Amino acid sequence: MAPLGRAALLLTFGLVLYALVAGAIGARQRRRRLALSARNALYAAFGTTVVAALVLLAALARRDFSFAYVAEHTNRDLAGGYALSAFWGGQEGSLLLWLLILTGYASVAVWLAGRTAKELVPWVVPVFGAVATFFAFMLVFVSSPFHTQPAPADGAGMVPSLQNPYMLAHPPLLYLGYVGLTVPFAFAMGALLSKQTDERWIVVTRRWTLAAWTFLGVGQLLGAHWAYVEIGWGGYYAWDPVENAALMPWLAATAFLHSVMMQEKRGMLKVWNAILVSLAFCLSIFGTFLTRSGVINSIHSFAQSPLGGWFLGFIVVTVVVSAALIRLRLPLLRSRTTLESLVSREATFLYNNLLLVAFCLTILWGTMWPILTQAVRAEPSTISKPYYNFFLHSFGLPLLLLMGIGPLVAWRRASLRAVGRTFLVPFAAAVATGGALLAVGLGSSLPGLLAYTFSAFVAASIVYEFVRGTRATGSLMRLVARNRRRYGGYLVHAAVLMLAIGVAGSSAYQTVRERGLKPGQSMEVAGYTLTYESLGTRDVRNAQAIRAVVDVSRNGSHVTTLTPGKNTYPVAPGGPQTSNEVSIYHDPRNLGDLFTIADQIDAKSGTVFLKVLVKPLVNLIWAAGFLFVFGALVAMWPDAVEQRRLAQRYAAAAAARA
Amino acid sequence: MTAALVLAAVLAVVAAMLVARPFLRDPEPASDRLDELTERERRRLELAEERDRALAALKELEFDHRTGKVADEHYRETVGPMRVRAAEALRALERFDAAAGGDEPRMVEIPDPLPPPGEPKPPDPVPDPVPEPYPPPDEADPPEPARVPEPGPLGVET
Repeated sequence: MAPLGRAALLLTFGLVLYALVAGAIGARQRRRRLALSARNALYAAFGTTVVAALVLLAALARRDFSFAYVAEHTNRDLAGGYALSAFWGGQEGSLLLWLLILTGYASVAVWLAGRTAKELVPWVVPVFGAVATFFAFMLVFVSSPFHTQPAPADGAGMVPSLQNPYMLAHPPLLYLGYVGLTVPFAFAMGALLSKQTDERWIVVTRRWTLAAWTFLGVGQLLGAHWAYVEIGWGGYYAWDPVENAALMPWLAATAFLHSVMMQEKRGMLKVWNAILVSLAFCLSIFGTFLTRSGVINSIHSFAQSPLGGWFLGFIVVTVVVSAALIRLRLPLLRSRTTLESLVSREATFLYNNLLLVAFCLTILWGTMWPILTQAVRAEPSTISKPYYNFFLHSFGLPLLLLMGIGPLVAWRRASLRAVGRTFLVPFAAAVATGGALLAVGLGSSLPGLLAYTFSAFVAASIVYEFVRGTRATGSLMRLVARNRRRYGGYLVHAAVLMLAIGVAGSSAYQTVRERGLKPGQSMEVAGYTLTYESLGTRDVRNAQAIRAVVDVSRNGSHVTTLTPGKNTYPVAPGGPQTSNEVSIYHDPRNLGDLFTIADQIDAKSGTVFLKVLVKPLVNLIWAAGFLFVFGALVAMWPDAVEQRRLAQRYAAAAAARA
Repeated sequence: MTAALVLAAVLAVVAAMLVARPFLRDPEPASDRLDELTERERRRLELAEERDRALAALKELEFDHRTGKVADEHYRETVGPMRVRAAEALRALERFDAAAGGDEPRMVEIPDPLPPPGEPKPPDPVPDPVPEPYPPPDEADPPEPARVPEPGPLGVET
């Protein structure tokens, strides 16, 4: 079936190239049938990409090792689910996933936009075509998943760390987010190309942006949990270049989601929004480049290849073209309104944007530092955790505080009296929390203390906002139904708050102990007594497992038994590999974890070097994910009143033309 | 191999048919011109967006006042000019539609702030209610008017 896959990809390439060229000519020369034909080419490209994807999935399911890709990423003993996840485990497959999602998104977005932004669509099609052409070109001419070979007896297997259930969801969700940012970019560029810089591109892409941003956020959270339970170092975020690569577009998209409200409500920041949407898209391509090029050493660089040059070229072209287009259309993007006061909701959005973008750019600088030093000094130099932590504290803490201030301040202009009155309750909550933390001796970490104090301020402001809104409208449901975007946004803020509390608790107040233990010996960690009892081995599918049995007690009472250890995978790319298998006890008392790692195991003497971490509140991070998704769904849920209003606005133009 | 090639050929034919469909369905069109917004339509869209923004801003102000984010005196200072702006935006759109022979339905009126109980009722406003053709984006229904003293003729009355 490989020839079918190759043919399908070749057809996709031809179709998206046609969508680019015919679409551009059709839009430029106002030729209706040519523009429609280009749009249909996008639809057809989705169909042909689906066929290519099905061919690869079938080969993975059948472990057809005549496909070089299948042989390189799976083996016969690999569980079926993981074999299918190999679709995005390697470079060629993940490029195919990019193209599949892109053509799917493009088809649906273009089809839906035909109702509200019909005149914009002909200009959007070639932009989608251009991005898809790049990926189709890579798949056809540079990195095809359909290379065949004489089938070996078994495959090379999968990297052990990828054999984790989170890998079934984390990469596809990230890709749904990365690729989703193409939709607002394509419509923004289409609007600039066609000089239709009114609000339609924002109206059409509002939910797409929010969905992409949500996917990216959830994808990162799942990735953090994967790192936490799988990599076995005791953390969930290491400022790894590839982790940063997902964080940067998310930060840019967060800034865009806030600043776009200023364009909708006040007609301001049109240039800034065009820049942000381009930045978010370029960073999403940069993220794929980092993951797939292997230019930077990363725990995520599972697939290294010479794709870097192509991606870099594409990023440079995208940056230059979008910057030139924004520059060319500046006269159309000038806003007629200005910021009335530095104490207003608009101003808080502006401060939020400046901090988010500054944070994003400092991460970009830190991530690119090894590439830059490699280019200048022929010797890469890396930037370590203190650099990122400094900027996390410098930008993250003010951002946290702004999350509480923003909702309390009125649009346009807020008087100091009103601000003082609305700040009273949250300020009192913050002072009380800070004082209580100091009183119980938790002032050892200034960032931790500030994070909790600010979190109390934000939590109180969110609750206060809901209470006052409910009082004003008479019911909570009515309040939320009237403005889903605002109150869904507050729920997302509450999720970010939970995340901040979890991060502060699990990093600023964590306890770490490490010790070599012989059977029968114990160690004390933050009130827990861990007694190493025995060592055992067992066979698991695709690996041999060795586990240390550790009894955990507190105040003399048995709490649980943990079994940290290691798995040895005899079949893995590059030869047998060993992975750390951590064992965790979730403590409901402090929402934290007792996290154990068997760092070294001496099977002969039975000695185990045990690393134990006590991470208070860490489970709030994962719980925040559920609230994050719920808040995003509330914000995205269609609003019938708004739909009617917009339909009326755009129908009037269509009726006038008819 | 052969089956794969046959399937690939079928796929190519289906894709080609879909791409060629606009030309096959309409080989000799009366006009092959793509719809585009005329200057007039663009202007109308701008006015409609301005109207929506003005009305939404007014609703935001009302809501912020009711939830205590905007003090009474600030509300009184601001509501008048904002009502004027909203009224101007509505009239501009109406004038534009009237000039072209179009019209839009009137649905809602901008609420007037009510005087507090016990205060003399202000004189009836000039009977020129500002039509609101739809509920603006942030509040589905117009909120209850705020109970603050009306210092004088505001917005549309002047």
